[in-house]
Amino acid sequence: MRELSYAEALREGLRQAMETDARVFAIGEDIGVYGGAFGVTAGLLDQFGGQRVIDTPISEAGIAGACVGAALTGMRPVGEIQFMDFVTLTMEQLVLQAAKVRFMFGGKASVPMVLRMPGGSGTGAAAQHSESLENWFVHVPGLKVVMPSNAYDAKGLLLSAIDDDNPVIFVEHKLLYKTKMDVPEAPYRIPLSQTNIVRAGQHVTVVATSIMVSRALAAADELAKEGIELEIIDPRTLKPLDDTPIIDSVKKTGRALIVHEAVEIGGFGGEIAARIAGSEAFDYLEAPVKRLAGLDIPIPYNRELERNTVPQIESIIVEARKLAQTAY
Amino acid sequence: MTTAVILPKFGFTLESSKLVRWMVSEGDKVREGDPLCEVETDKVNMEVEATADGVVAALQYPAGVDVPVTNVICYILKPGESADGLKNALSQAAQSVSVTTAPSISAIPPQHAVTSTQSAPINASPLALRIAEEHGIDLATVSGTGAGGKITRADVDNAVARQSEKPRATPAARRIAAASSIDLKTVRGSGPKGRIQGTDVAAAAAIGVVQVLAPTPIAVEKPPASDTQLSVLSPQPAASRVVKLEGMRRTIATRMQQSFQQAPHTFFEINVDTAGIDALRAKLKARNEKLSVTSLLVKGCAWALGKHPYLNATLAGDAITLWSTCNIGVAVALDNGLIVPVVHHVETLPLREIQMRIDDVAARARANSLRMNDLADGTFTISNLGMYSIDRFTAIINPPQVAILAVGRAIRQFVPDEHGQPVVQSRMSLTLSTDHRVVDGAQAAQFMADLRVVLEDPMLLVW
Repeated sequence: MRELSYAEALREGLRQAMETDARVFAIGEDIGVYGGAFGVTAGLLDQFGGQRVIDTPISEAGIAGACVGAALTGMRPVGEIQFMDFVTLTMEQLVLQAAKVRFMFGGKASVPMVLRMPGGSGTGAAAQHSESLENWFVHVPGLKVVMPSNAYDAKGLLLSAIDDDNPVIFVEHKLLYKTKMDVPEAPYRIPLSQTNIVRAGQHVTVVATSIMVSRALAAADELAKEGIELEIIDPRTLKPLDDTPIIDSVKKTGRALIVHEAVEIGGFGGEIAARIAGSEAFDYLEAPVKRLAGLDIPIPYNRELERNTVPQIESIIVEARKLAQTAY
Repeated sequence: MTTAVILPKFGFTLESSKLVRWMVSEGDKVREGDPLCEVETDKVNMEVEATADGVVAALQYPAGVDVPVTNVICYILKPGESADGLKNALSQAAQSVSVTTAPSISAIPPQHAVTSTQSAPINASPLALRIAEEHGIDLATVSGTGAGGKITRADVDNAVARQSEKPRATPAARRIAAASSIDLKTVRGSGPKGRIQGTDVAAAAAIGVVQVLAPTPIAVEKPPASDTQLSVLSPQPAASRVVKLEGMRRTIATRMQQSFQQAPHTFFEINVDTAGIDALRAKLKARNEKLSVTSLLVKGCAWALGKHPYLNATLAGDAITLWSTCNIGVAVALDNGLIVPVVHHVETLPLREIQMRIDDVAARARANSLRMNDLADGTFTISNLGMYSIDRFTAIINPPQVAILAVGRAIRQFVPDEHGQPVVQSRMSLTLSTDHRVVDGAQAAQFMADLRVVLEDPMLLVW
């Protein structure tokens, strides 16, 4: 099998969706000639032309509004927001329109759109280009939120997101775009709301999202040398969440660590922790549920400060080891 | 500096000693090493010596009183010092000086000191006494904060509050405790600040010995101070793996060490011809009935124990309890330790019932679903390693019991018959360990002789 990068896998998924379904089109800033800020849409303009790969003015509200309108008329738009931070400018379209239309029209209309956006820090892009805002959308009824952590999942989840009749917020990660793995060429779909057990282990359950999955895997390799086996779980779709594998895992390990890049307070980790505490897994807990997440500060420009603002491999090792040793 | 002289602890289990007589009076000059008083232990009387030069002051107890160990018995003053206030310093001083000024003693401590049932008079207000009685509080466990260490109402109220305090335990610990009917207050926690972990409860349930927790939480292993983000990434050697001594493992470690150090073990080995056992089992097998060697041993031991009550006994403090019923524990190996479920009232049970009960408790032991009742009140233990092809071994007594039988495998060997001709016999090794504090050699030997008789001729079990 060939290796593709995360960006290439997304491009292939998008291309295959556009090849097989004329309703699918791409829209965003500089996605045509330039190929997108991170190169995801490179070459699509040549293949599909300006009618289906649409460059827009610098107006995120315009991109989102166009997607909502096109979706209402039966198209399946895939919009791109250059940096997740700028999704702030689309909120009215997404929260008040896209998320609500189907419910307010009694199911007579739907908004089958996907809005792709790269979140996360680690590129030195500072406070306005590094945020992880996925939980805002988790909190809005009517939106789905997907967060692939590797190239294989990225392609399979994108194809499922495009198929879905609901508006899907598709959160990518800047540092993942160049990471490679084996990706099948033929189209395949990973169902939304299907949590993935990435690595099995019996001592500590680690629920991680996006870039934190690969960091947790690296931490698990180190801790395995000490005899500590982490079970790493990637929800992949934050909403609707498939929490059964998480609860089953905590029943087995009795210990849970939740790792995400977004700011800890009000973050998705709180939801996972509550699901564990509110489930039958509660009776199996041998330690408090711990979260390891971003500090409650804007992402700093200074690279060292930036690095220390969000969880890293070494901090996951420290926290997971403490849990395994019942230091909490 | 005023020196407080405390009553030394002369033995592991010694909690108090009777003060026989004072050999000095208040105001007497003494030199370090001079005898101050004579105290009584179970074997010999001991002298408590002065730990400093000076003047004896403030004798805290009259002769004839039972004094808790480490309590201050008197003070030695330097020239110019006054005895004022010393009478009131009793309880605090006992705490603070007990380690630093333990006096030397002039006789070799006896190995087994008696545990006295008497304790020092309780210094408590009448109201405190009444409240304590209402709530079943043992005032000996309450330290007084009033004048002269008097136990006040507030002290008792605090004790009552502590008594009803919810133990700190993880949800997993609570679930396991509820399932196995274990009182969490009796389980010792190994988690942070003494929190009770699920593994602690599982171990307590498994071993069947639930020891009352000492008030001091055990130290929690903290990650080393150098555990910074950088050092974490340095490679760890993978050649070995450290497993913490905790839970069931710790309980086994503590109890086996205690038993082997405190109980003087003696061993008695016999080899038993298994022809009778084999014939009986073969007959039952032909009828599709199962009878294990272990079940027969359980019944056979009960038969022999009935004739030798000193082996069917428990030892606690200075009391040997001789049991009129045989509750026989059978050691069951688990993946991470072992556990000894008990078959109760074996003497009243037919072999078939014994077999069913052993199958039942062994299965539930491996499924971790034993109840406290399954583990309680054992009077004798059998450990059978025959299935592991062990020829013979010795076992450590399971306290407070005083004997345990170690069973090896049956081996076919040549033995001379009555004409001196070699015949093949299947013979099984049995090794009895006994606690010599309770069981003497002749008693153990007679028990083993009777055990041989009944195992070689199991038909005797009908009588």
